[in-house]
Amino acid sequence: MKWAGALAVLGLLALPLTLSSYALTIFIFIFFYAFLGQAWNIVGGYAGQLSAGHAAFVGIGGYTAAMLSIEHGVTPWIGMFAGAVLAGALGALIGYLGFRFGLRGFYFVLLTVAFAEVCRILVSNIDAVGGALGLYITFTGNPRHFQFQDQRAYYYIALALMLLATGIAALIERRRFGIYLRAIREDEMAAEAAGVDAFRYKMFAMIVSSSLTGLGGTFYAFYLFSLQPNTVFGIPLSVEIIIRPIIGGTGTLVGPILGSFILTPLGELSRHYLGQSGLHGAHLVAYGLLLIAVVLFLPNGAYPWLRARFRR
Amino acid sequence: MPHTTRRTFLRATLAGAAVVAAPLPLRAQPKTFKIGVIHPVTGPLAEPGQACRLGAQMAADAVNAAGGIRSKGGLQLELVLGDTQTKPENGRVEAERVVNQGARMLMGSFDSGSTAAMVSVAQQKRVPFLVDIAAADPITANVAKSVKDGQQKVQYVYRNFPTGSSFGRKAVQYFTEMFKEAGVSPKRVVLMYCNDLFGQSQSRGFQAAHKAANPGWDIVEVIPWPEPPSDLSTEVSKAKAAKPDIIAPITRPASAQLLLPELRKQRLDIMGVVSPGSPGLYEAGQIAALKEDLEHVATCVPWANFKNPKTNAVAEDFRKRSGGKTFDTNSGYSYDGIFIIADALERAAKLDDPDAIVDAMRKTSYGGGLMQYGGPVVFNELGDNPNAITTMIQILGGKPVAVWPKAAAVQKFVFPRPKA
Repeated sequence: MKWAGALAVLGLLALPLTLSSYALTIFIFIFFYAFLGQAWNIVGGYAGQLSAGHAAFVGIGGYTAAMLSIEHGVTPWIGMFAGAVLAGALGALIGYLGFRFGLRGFYFVLLTVAFAEVCRILVSNIDAVGGALGLYITFTGNPRHFQFQDQRAYYYIALALMLLATGIAALIERRRFGIYLRAIREDEMAAEAAGVDAFRYKMFAMIVSSSLTGLGGTFYAFYLFSLQPNTVFGIPLSVEIIIRPIIGGTGTLVGPILGSFILTPLGELSRHYLGQSGLHGAHLVAYGLLLIAVVLFLPNGAYPWLRARFRR
Repeated sequence: MPHTTRRTFLRATLAGAAVVAAPLPLRAQPKTFKIGVIHPVTGPLAEPGQACRLGAQMAADAVNAAGGIRSKGGLQLELVLGDTQTKPENGRVEAERVVNQGARMLMGSFDSGSTAAMVSVAQQKRVPFLVDIAAADPITANVAKSVKDGQQKVQYVYRNFPTGSSFGRKAVQYFTEMFKEAGVSPKRVVLMYCNDLFGQSQSRGFQAAHKAANPGWDIVEVIPWPEPPSDLSTEVSKAKAAKPDIIAPITRPASAQLLLPELRKQRLDIMGVVSPGSPGLYEAGQIAALKEDLEHVATCVPWANFKNPKTNAVAEDFRKRSGGKTFDTNSGYSYDGIFIIADALERAAKLDDPDAIVDAMRKTSYGGGLMQYGGPVVFNELGDNPNAITTMIQILGGKPVAVWPKAAAVQKFVFPRPKA
């Protein structure tokens, strides 16, 4: 398994030598969503605390780095960490409210959605951060501005982000911390009875997850050159973040990555081949049907299914 | 379910990977010039996006039927179509894809987020990009700034569409001119708007322009509503309390269906309803639904020049091919976009150098547009066309008619509206 992982990373490092810029773009989004999914996986998968508002952290991270860069000329290389800190702070606030007052299951989901929506509406109405129009970032192609003339730079950054989140998740998984999180997920009362400080570990997972997601916001902003409250704080993005680990297998290291390697190309290919046919929207139907099929036939996600097959 | 072995699984995965990785294009044939045309053809903005695509296709067909790019041996235009699904990230992905498929120019993409993402591809890969629709000012201004600061060498992004700020300026100007022409002097204007991206930017632009122009009338009250609204009676009574001479609403089609009947029910004693910008008010469906409530309502929108016989012919063809839709902002600007590109290609010294195409773009002075312009299509130092303007239209006898500026007017406006 270890060797397979190392080989895969080496392969990915070498890929840009052969791929077109378009194929690189697809890989960039595969990595980026795998990264966001992995970050979510820490709190949503391992700890089993379903956050459906992770877009808020992308938004906070992106807006922080973008505002610092636009208004104060601070390089996003620093801004991204400021964004991560703020996203972590918001994560801590949501976590505190949710975990302190014992919101579980649907109630925690609602809390996270509500916070993301509040952020979206607030930002839409604050003129200083662009209101509903959002922020537009000047394309300079200057690496100091977290911008690159060459697509490969984005590729390696996105790959690094994915590996970073996966590394952190792997670290958590192997430590006692990871075991605590899984214990909490399986049966919180039993875990507490066994002496696990559930509140503390859930908070910790939430903060790690939200700060990481905040880092992703900067990448989003400086790769797509604009931020609109409806896109970066919206529910659709939250769903995009969650759906990959769910398809791939939540609470596993490989799940979010596998999910992203399945879904991103699937969306792209279906749009490309069905979208051209003039049947507007046929690709969305196909994409939806495939999603339903995966959920029906692989309820634990693709990775646990594959693992079971290989073990036989 | 058939047994999946590791081998078959790997084979399937590799096959899938090969499909993704394989360069999609069959290398560019020199017989055609490929233009990547990207719009939100599915998703929440699918309707206008499809109108844009159809407009562009009709224009390309027309250019090709008339002999293609004559100075380049009758080179035919070929559109490589893309769909953003209204997601900014797809603006980037699709721009990369169409360029990979051999597109040597880009056109699109309706919503400002996707357009901004496409800008970076245009600048990175040196692909000249004509923004056919997207209003946010920074889209072109940011690139111009980057070039001015020496961060980028060449500006590859140009826009033939009114910018967000020009929408407001034109509306204030038309309001003032029409009041004067009508020989009335309304003082109190109440601005009402749908509080979403579109409504906010329109209302902000309108207020900023009003402040700058300082005309003889005041905006006495500004009333937003959450979009989509379920009821607007409170908002309308608030507006009524401000004793308005004019109601200036910025509506979406759904909110217009609530607002206009409510204005009638609460019997507002006003000279008229004049909108700084409400898209879709003129669609046949709206007119059928609102009937008398829509009569005499005026709105400021990018509008086609129906004094031009060619426009009427194209609009008729468009109506047929789109299943009865008006040839309007979306289809019209996309249609003109292709002709502007064709015009630049005609004049470009050579086509294998993007900078030569940019040179030709900069020198554009194109008078054949079907939309209502304030002059020929030209590009200023920001890359915007200052002559891309809006037109005041009014619903008269159940039909949308251009009424202002005078040069564009098909009919004289009716203002103040007749007392009921």
